[in-house]
Amino acid sequence: MDRLRERQGQVITAAVITLLVLVLLATGEKESLVIGVITGSAYGFLALGLVLIYKSSGVFNFAQGEFGTVAVYTLYLLHFDVPYGFALLGALGVAVLMGVVVERLVVRPLFDAPRVTLLVATAGVALLSIAVQIWFGEATARPVGRALPTLDRFTVLGVQISDQRLLLLGALAILAGLLAWFFNKTNLGLAILGSSQEPTATELMGISVKRLSTIVWALAALLGGLAGVLAVPETGGFAPGVLTVAFLIPAFTAAVLGGMTSLPGAFLGGVIVGVVEAVATSAPIFEDIPGSPGTLLVFVVLLIVLVARPQGLLGKAG
Amino acid sequence: MAVETASRGPAAETGETVEGGEPSFRPSPIGWLARGIVWAAIAWLVLIFPLGREAFELQRYSEAVIFGIIGLSLNVLLGYVGQISLGHQAFVGIGAFTSAYIVTEQNLSFWVGVAAAVAVGGLQALVLGGVSLRITGLYFALVTLAYGLVAEKNIFQIQELTGGGLGQPAPKPKGFESDFRYYYLCLVFLAIVLWVDWRMMRTKSGRALLALRENPRVASTFGVNVRLLTLFAFVVSGAFAGLGGALLAHNDTRVSPETWSFNLALIFVIMTVVGGLRSRAGVVIGSAFFALIGYLLDKFTILQDGLNAIPGAPDLSPEIARLVIGPVLLLLTLTLTPGGIGQQIRPIVRWLTGHRFDLKDRGLKEVQISDVRA
Amino acid sequence: MSVLETQSVSIRFGGVFANTDVSIKVGEWEIVGVIGPNGAGKTTAFNIVTGFYKPDRGRVLYKGRDITNLAVHERTALGMGRTFQNVGLVKGSTVRENLVSAQYLEADYSTLAGMLGSPRTFVSEAELRKRGDAVAEVMGLGEFLDRQVAGLPYGVLKRVEIATVLATDPDVLLLDEPSSGMGPEEAHDLGDTLLELRREFGLSIAMIEHHVPLVVRVCDYVYCLNFGQLLAEGLPEEVRNHPQVVTAYLGEDAEDPALQKVEEKLETLLDTD
Repeated sequence: MDRLRERQGQVITAAVITLLVLVLLATGEKESLVIGVITGSAYGFLALGLVLIYKSSGVFNFAQGEFGTVAVYTLYLLHFDVPYGFALLGALGVAVLMGVVVERLVVRPLFDAPRVTLLVATAGVALLSIAVQIWFGEATARPVGRALPTLDRFTVLGVQISDQRLLLLGALAILAGLLAWFFNKTNLGLAILGSSQEPTATELMGISVKRLSTIVWALAALLGGLAGVLAVPETGGFAPGVLTVAFLIPAFTAAVLGGMTSLPGAFLGGVIVGVVEAVATSAPIFEDIPGSPGTLLVFVVLLIVLVARPQGLLGKAG
Repeated sequence: MAVETASRGPAAETGETVEGGEPSFRPSPIGWLARGIVWAAIAWLVLIFPLGREAFELQRYSEAVIFGIIGLSLNVLLGYVGQISLGHQAFVGIGAFTSAYIVTEQNLSFWVGVAAAVAVGGLQALVLGGVSLRITGLYFALVTLAYGLVAEKNIFQIQELTGGGLGQPAPKPKGFESDFRYYYLCLVFLAIVLWVDWRMMRTKSGRALLALRENPRVASTFGVNVRLLTLFAFVVSGAFAGLGGALLAHNDTRVSPETWSFNLALIFVIMTVVGGLRSRAGVVIGSAFFALIGYLLDKFTILQDGLNAIPGAPDLSPEIARLVIGPVLLLLTLTLTPGGIGQQIRPIVRWLTGHRFDLKDRGLKEVQISDVRA
Repeated sequence: MSVLETQSVSIRFGGVFANTDVSIKVGEWEIVGVIGPNGAGKTTAFNIVTGFYKPDRGRVLYKGRDITNLAVHERTALGMGRTFQNVGLVKGSTVRENLVSAQYLEADYSTLAGMLGSPRTFVSEAELRKRGDAVAEVMGLGEFLDRQVAGLPYGVLKRVEIATVLATDPDVLLLDEPSSGMGPEEAHDLGDTLLELRREFGLSIAMIEHHVPLVVRVCDYVYCLNFGQLLAEGLPEEVRNHPQVVTAYLGEDAEDPALQKVEEKLETLLDTD
């Protein structure tokens, strides 16, 4: 029974992806497929962080997007003065630091509090982060430098793609592979995945639950930071709270598609949501929707999944 | 009845007594006098103090009163139903635009606008609640957050409704053109909302809500239609929010789409939680405080100077101050005093309503945000 | 005619048969006991009768009417009252507030009138309180009226719970382990109370009970469930001495761990619903 339902989810997923790609190729600009995959991967990374934190702390982390925003902000501040690579490392470092600080100052004192209390607290952290960005910076959007200064274009499978984006896609693929290896092969990765089910097993491995909680938040913050620094330069630049406003809901939708528990499901969900948004933005049938059709479509996807299939498409049947 | 009076003692410690039961404690004449003086002081602050203030100040006071209504709206969801809304700015904002649209584009009266805003607020809550009835706890918070974003990115982009970039004009009603009169009008509306909220919680639907929040199974064996009652509470919350939105629109005389952001939604949640769930007095005080932060900083420059003295930081404008102070207060409230302002002022409120002054009387320990359903 | 009847009711959770072909009858003025080892499916049967679960097969009849598809609150309105194994009360409220809350359907004003504060509602509220106090008096709880539920001893809570159910004005009571947490003496008093309730209010009662002396003393008829099936039924003495019942209670495989686990899990699921 359960296996059948899991299969069913996979079949639906495959069908959805095929349909989306077909719609895109038939109606929209083909380039939006590339944008969809890139932003979708960023959603995926953010969603991975959400799932990790949900599995270990049992809470929806509404500050997840801010890990990315803070990283982008740091990248923006640093990239004038230091080489791009160092700026990137600095940005990720700041994100991780923020993750650890949030875990220590907010999550740990509320360790035994009900999960909704913690949720409100993380939302508060998000607002504080946005407020501080407005306070110290300005409320306007700024472009963030890209890794490659030149802009060449290639044609791959009939789709025009810039070297920027090609590089980005490559980096995303490598990162996804690294994460898969980390969670499947390394002791720490396995411990993190196992911690939610059996705290004692993790203790036996020599990692305390509390320490693991810090590690999970740091890792989630790193993933959030990655999502930010990879995608934001491509999608319009820094603005206070940019990832919370533009990325958090799609990332949650991605995580929900994965049933809030499955890491590959969350990542794949991210790509699906990214492509759905791209379709909504470029396909002519959605032209009449006021404002941003992508936002509306993602909301509809979220509602449908929550009402009709709460266990997600790729999560374990429950 | 004899038994009841004899056993009155423990009740004072355990929470609000059922209305109508005679308390054994009666304040002395001096006690009554002291209470009367404090009541008079509060009345002076609310009714007389604003007299003769300048227009821009009165607008801030009106906003404080309206925020009280919005806080009470969120309190119905958070405090009574036990569901969290991170998209309440959508409900308030749509109320604001509805009323402005009706008055400006349809040339109908302010009263029609307010009525429509209340109706649209309730309807919205009914639809969103109906769709997501099976979604509770964390997931419901997520849905409301996403809904708020949809309002921001889609609904408030509808030109006819919002009047485009400049926003929709929302003139003050006839007879209440002066900010001073409008302030009193807002007070009357707050009083109505407080009355309705109070009566609701003291009659069958309110008691059913409390039972429902704690244990839906028990509520249903009491004969409560759990889904219907939850929807009903949603509608009440949405209607209050719509009212708050309409009043806010006409207070500023113009509504613009940018006002209704995620930041504002969180400020609404924060002011309600910091105010103290299920405490009407606390919620109104907390909400008013958050409406007035900027004004207070302007008025008492020493506070502003203190904030500006933070080394290395740029000056904190009153607008941003709310966004910085809010989350800090929220985190302090959640970790230190989950009952918020309501819990802290409970002894005073009890004393004012003719009970004994008891500093230890802080109501239930485990109440407030902690029992929102997950 | 029986007040309450289940006809060959079956329900399955996952692979576990929680109830199979369970047929139980409660006649007018009757007190019926339901016994059986832990995890025998007793609470599941109650949950089907009160509407928390829909059976896969079979029907539930109330005074001859098919109520299988009615919701819990609709069954309450018909006159069905039920207590829970782990005490179904609003713990943050006082005993009096619970008794008033339970009279949700008794209040003779509309929700809207209550919210607007029509003068009528003030009168009604006073009546509800008085009625609640009277019910508390019947259950010997007068001294606890103003006490918060959260701080009361378990045995008292069980009586408070019965009082709140009585306040809903039921025709039939379904009590899930009413004597748990009580000493022998308290349990004996509870037996007296139940008999008195039947005499005073003409109630029919079905109860899940482990305390054998109580069952034998007050029950007119007893059903024994095991592994979700009826093992035996009859007069209390007959069932108690029924060889299969004795084995079920003594035998090593008496408790179905799978079923018990399912029941516990479902209980927690419902509680956190």
